[in-house]
Amino acid sequence: MTTQMRAFTLFSALFAVVYVVCVEMNLALFTYHPRLGQWDIGTVPARTGPAMYWFGWLASAGLAAFLATLLATPLLRRMGPPVWIGWAVPLASMLAFFWFLRSFFLR
Amino acid sequence: MITFMLILHGLAAVVLLGGLTHQALAAIWPVRKGTGAGGGGALANSFRGVNARLYTNTNIVLYLVTFILGGLIYPAYRLAVRTWIENARLWSISGMFEVKEQFLAIGLGMLPLYWLLWRTPADQPLDPQFASARAWVTGILCVVVWYSFVAGHIVNNVRGLFGQ
Repeated sequence: MTTQMRAFTLFSALFAVVYVVCVEMNLALFTYHPRLGQWDIGTVPARTGPAMYWFGWLASAGLAAFLATLLATPLLRRMGPPVWIGWAVPLASMLAFFWFLRSFFLR
Repeated sequence: MITFMLILHGLAAVVLLGGLTHQALAAIWPVRKGTGAGGGGALANSFRGVNARLYTNTNIVLYLVTFILGGLIYPAYRLAVRTWIENARLWSISGMFEVKEQFLAIGLGMLPLYWLLWRTPADQPLDPQFASARAWVTGILCVVVWYSFVAGHIVNNVRGLFGQ
């Protein structure tokens, strides 16, 4: 298994986990206010109209997963996660979202 | 402009669906050489008997294009459509869209691994663990895109389907 394969496997798993954490804890790198057409750095409450955090969650998860994978690269030259982690963790994260969002379907 | 991007978003999703479904079936249920049909009819065999490796880059570009177009029209959805859905108390429809956005985001993070898993040249034997991972990753992305396509269409037609 190459270092690149280990790194991409780790990134895939980390991105999914960090994304779930970002959504559940509302850790957005930036916030968009669609009514105002304005962007804010960080997680900012809604002003006029709703606030959109999805773009910020994506950025938070992407950046965190990328940096963590980059930091782990020296270690990945010697050892790394099995490749199934790269699909099993994202799959588990998707199933977790069904649980987190169950209230939409149980009303 | 929003309508134009919405139509482009839908068209790109249709092409992506075709590419990913071909590739996922070829990875999960490959046609075996020299063993006859190997199960399935002639149509199914030709559908899954494609050179799946060729689809990878196109599928990635289409996923990104569809994703970006979806992101561009998302604010319009958030302001107008979601408000209408919530006022109509169609919570399960709203939930379907919430699930769609989370699934697609996680799928986005799987794209680098998906790309790498399909990089092995066709004439080189593939390690069984990579073959399994390739089938799973492609299958998951295929399910994500199918779900998102159906959910997106229901949300897009929500007033016609559920409007009073």
